[in-house]
Amino acid sequence: MLEYASYALVLLALGAYLLLDGYDLGIGILSLFDRSDRRRKEYNELIATAWDANESWLILAGVALWAGLPGVYATVLPGVYLPLVVMLLAIVMRGAAIELQSATPGYRRGWGLVFGLASLVAALCQGLVVGALLSGLPHRGGMFTGGTWDWLTPYSALTALGMACLHLLAGAAWLQDKTTGTAHHRAGRLGRPLLLAVAGACVVLGVGLRFSDPQHFRFDQTLRAALFGVAVAVAAVCGLTAWYGFGRRPDWRPFAAVAGAEAAGLLALVAATAPVVVPPDLTVRAAAAPHASQMFLVIGVGGCMPVVLAYNVYAWWVFRGKFSPPPETAPAADPSDATATAAAQRPAAVAQAPGDGPRAVVVARRVLLTLLGVALAAVSQDVFGGKGTWIGPTAIAVCGVTALAVWIRSDRRAAADGYFDLGTAEK
Amino acid sequence: MASPAVVEISRWQFAVTAVFHMSFPALTVGLSAFLAVMYTIHLRTGNPLYLQIFRFWKKIFAVGFGLGVVAGAVMTFEFGLNWGGYAHAVGPILGVIIGMEVITAFFLEAGFIGIMLYGDGRVRPRTMAFACWMLVVGTLLSTTWILAANSWMQDPVGFTEVGGQFRPDDWWHVLFNPAFTYRFPHILLAVLISAAWFIGGIAAWYLVKQRALPFARRTLSIALGVLAILMPVQLYVGDQTAGFMGAHQPAKLEAFEGNWKTDNNGYNLLVVPDTGKGENRVHVEIPHLGAVIGKDLSGKANVPGLLRTPKDERPNMWSAFYGFRAMYFTALAMFAMAFAGVVLRLRGRLYTARRFHRLMVWMAPAGVVAISGGWITAETGRQPWVVYGLIRTGDAVSRLSLGAAISSLTGFVTVYALLLGLWIRYIVRTVRTGPEHLLADVGTTAHPSEVSCA
Repeated sequence: MLEYASYALVLLALGAYLLLDGYDLGIGILSLFDRSDRRRKEYNELIATAWDANESWLILAGVALWAGLPGVYATVLPGVYLPLVVMLLAIVMRGAAIELQSATPGYRRGWGLVFGLASLVAALCQGLVVGALLSGLPHRGGMFTGGTWDWLTPYSALTALGMACLHLLAGAAWLQDKTTGTAHHRAGRLGRPLLLAVAGACVVLGVGLRFSDPQHFRFDQTLRAALFGVAVAVAAVCGLTAWYGFGRRPDWRPFAAVAGAEAAGLLALVAATAPVVVPPDLTVRAAAAPHASQMFLVIGVGGCMPVVLAYNVYAWWVFRGKFSPPPETAPAADPSDATATAAAQRPAAVAQAPGDGPRAVVVARRVLLTLLGVALAAVSQDVFGGKGTWIGPTAIAVCGVTALAVWIRSDRRAAADGYFDLGTAEK
Repeated sequence: MASPAVVEISRWQFAVTAVFHMSFPALTVGLSAFLAVMYTIHLRTGNPLYLQIFRFWKKIFAVGFGLGVVAGAVMTFEFGLNWGGYAHAVGPILGVIIGMEVITAFFLEAGFIGIMLYGDGRVRPRTMAFACWMLVVGTLLSTTWILAANSWMQDPVGFTEVGGQFRPDDWWHVLFNPAFTYRFPHILLAVLISAAWFIGGIAAWYLVKQRALPFARRTLSIALGVLAILMPVQLYVGDQTAGFMGAHQPAKLEAFEGNWKTDNNGYNLLVVPDTGKGENRVHVEIPHLGAVIGKDLSGKANVPGLLRTPKDERPNMWSAFYGFRAMYFTALAMFAMAFAGVVLRLRGRLYTARRFHRLMVWMAPAGVVAISGGWITAETGRQPWVVYGLIRTGDAVSRLSLGAAISSLTGFVTVYALLLGLWIRYIVRTVRTGPEHLLADVGTTAHPSEVSCA
C-alpha cells in the first residue's frame, strides 16, 4: 500500500508543477508575443516572486520518484535523456534571465528574449518527455535498454504541442487574474482559442494513446471505467467554466477552472493506466523502493507537506491581488557623494602618521608576528595532538576568545570615533 | 556495461555541474545568515546603515540564490540521467534523504525568498525578519541533508544489500554516519567562511576606492571578526577530517598527500605523478613537515603512500593532490589574512591599511576556491568507487550513447561558462554601482510598510 502513497506523492508534486510552473512558462511564452517592453517587464516581475517555489515542485517530483519508485526514476531519465537535458538547460537559462532582468532597473530585451524562448523550449521538452513516457520505454532489471532517439515519436511531437498549449492556457488564465489594462484584456481574449486548442489536443492525444501506448487498457474493470469517466466529466465541466470565465469577472475564475481541469485530467490519465507507471509493464509495485524507505518518505515528506502548503499559501497571499510594481527605492543622490572626494585624501595621510619606529623594530615586529602566526596555524592543525588531545581545542578556544575580545573592543572604538556613522563619517 | 568513454564523460559532466552548483550555496548559505543578522540589527536599532548593508547584499544574494536553485534542479535529475545504475541502487537511501532536503529546505527557501526580495512594503518589517531567518533555517537544513547524503557515500553504514539495491536498516545510522560527524562541521564552517571573505573582499574594495566608507568599514569589521574566530576552528576541524579519512579511506589520504612509497616524512608542495610506473617524476617537499602535520613531533614518521592500495582501487593522484593543495594553501592564506586582521585591529589601523585592503580584494573568492578544491579532493579521492567500497563508478552509469553524453556535456559546459561570466559581471556591476544609491530613502522611509500591511 505504501508504494501507492509514494506514487500519490509523485503525482501531487507533478500536478502542482504542471499547474504552477505551467502558468509561469505560459506567461514566458506569451511575453514573446507582446510588443510593449513595459508589459514584458511586468510579466517578468509577476513571475519573479514565485518561480523558484514553482520549480521546487519539479524537484520534489523528481526526488520523490527517485526515493519512492527508484525503478521508474532509473528507467525514465536515461530513456528521455536528450529532451530532459535540454529542458533542464532551458530552465537554468530561464531562471538566470528572470533574476537578472528583475535585478536591472529598466528592461533588457536580450533577457526578455531568453526568458521567452527558454520557456517555450522547456514547455516543448516537457511535452516530449511525457509523450515518450506514454509511448513506453524498453527496460530490463531497473535499467533503460532502448536507444538514444526512442523518445522521438509522432505521438511525443504531438504531446509537445499540446503541452505548450496547456501552459499557454494556464498563463493566460493567470494573467487575467493578476494584471490590469491591456495585458488583462488580451489574456481574456486569448483564453478561448487556447482552450479550444487544448481540448482538441486532449481528444487527439487521448485517442492516439490507444495506438501509441503498448499496454492493454483494462476499461472492462468497472471501478476504473467509472473513475475515468468521472475525471473526464469533471475536466470537461472545468473546461466549460473556464470558457465562460475568460474575459468576465471574477478574474480568478479561469485560473481556478484551469487548475481543476488539469488535476482532473491527470487523474483521468492515472485512472486509465494505474498500476502501470512506465508502459508497457513497469508497475508501481515492481518499481517501488523497500518498505523502510517508503515509510520514511511518506512520514517525512507527507508530514511536512501541510506546513509547506501553509507557507506557500501565505507567500501567495502576500502577493495576492493585481500585480503592482514594488515600491521604488528612488535613486536619489547620496549625501556622502559630494564629500567623498574630500574624504579620499584624509586616510592616506593617517596611514603614514603613527610612528612605526626605526626599521629594525618594524622588521623584528614582523618576524615575531609571522612566527606567532605560524605557531597558531600549527597548533590549530593539532600538531600537538600526539602529546595531548586537549592542546588543540584549548588553543583554539583561547584564540577564539581573544579574537572576539579584540573585535568587540575595536568595534566599540570605531563606533565611538564615528567610523560607522552614515551622516557624520564624511565630515 | 557502458563504454569507458561514456563513464569518463559522465564523470566530467557531474564534476562540472556539481562544482558549479556548489559555488553558489558556498556563498548564499553564509550570506543568508549575514542578511538575517543585518536586518535584525536594523530592526532593533533603527540604524539606517544596516538597512543599507541589507539592501546592497540582498541584490547579490537574489541572483546568486536563483542561479544556485536552477543549478541544483539540474543536480537532482542528473543522478538518474547519467547514473541510472547508481540511482537504482541507492534510491531507497539517498533518494529519501534528498527528498527530505527538498521538502524541508528547498520549499522553505523558495517560499520565503519571494517575501524577502519583493516583500518590502507588502509585509511588516517583523515579517521580513522572520522570512530572512526562515531562509537561514532552510539553507542550513539543506546543508545538513546533503552532507548526510554525501557522507553516506563516503562511509556507508546502516543498510543491507538486496539484489544490488541498498535498503536502509537504521535511518539514524544512515543519516548520522561516522563521516557526517566530521564533514558536516567542516563544510558548515567552510560556507560561512567563504561568505565572510566575499563580504570582506568587497568591503575592502570600497575602502581602496574610498567609497561608501561607513558601509565598507562596518562590513569589513564584521567579516574579519567572524573570520578571526572561525579560521583556527576550521583548520582544527579540517585536520580531524583528514585524520578520519586517513583511517576510513586510506587511499584518499595517500593520494592527496602525493606519495607512492611509504618512505617520505616530508610534506609535498608539488608533485608530477606517473600513474603507470607508480612514482613521482618530480616532487618538491619540505622535509619532516609531513610527519609533524601527522602529529609526530620528532618528524620521523613516514606518510603512507598510494602503493599500499591495490592498483585497481587507486584514485587519481593528480586531482586529489592538487584539489587538496588548492584548499589547503588557500586556507593558510586565509588564516594569515585573518591573523593580520586581528593585528591591525590591535594597532588601530584596520580601516587605513591600504596594502591589506588591496590583498583583501583578492581574497574575495578565496572561500569558493577552497571549497571547490576540497570538494574535488573528497569526490575524486573516493574513486574508483561511487559509494565507497560498494559500487564502482564504472558500474553506476546509464546505458547512454556516446553522442548523447558528449552533446549534453557540451551543453552544460557552454551554458555554465556563460552563466559564470554573467554572474561575475553582475557582481562587478552591482559593486561598481555601490550601496550609496540604495541609501537614498532609508532615513525617511525605514518602515514604509506599517501603513500598507492591512
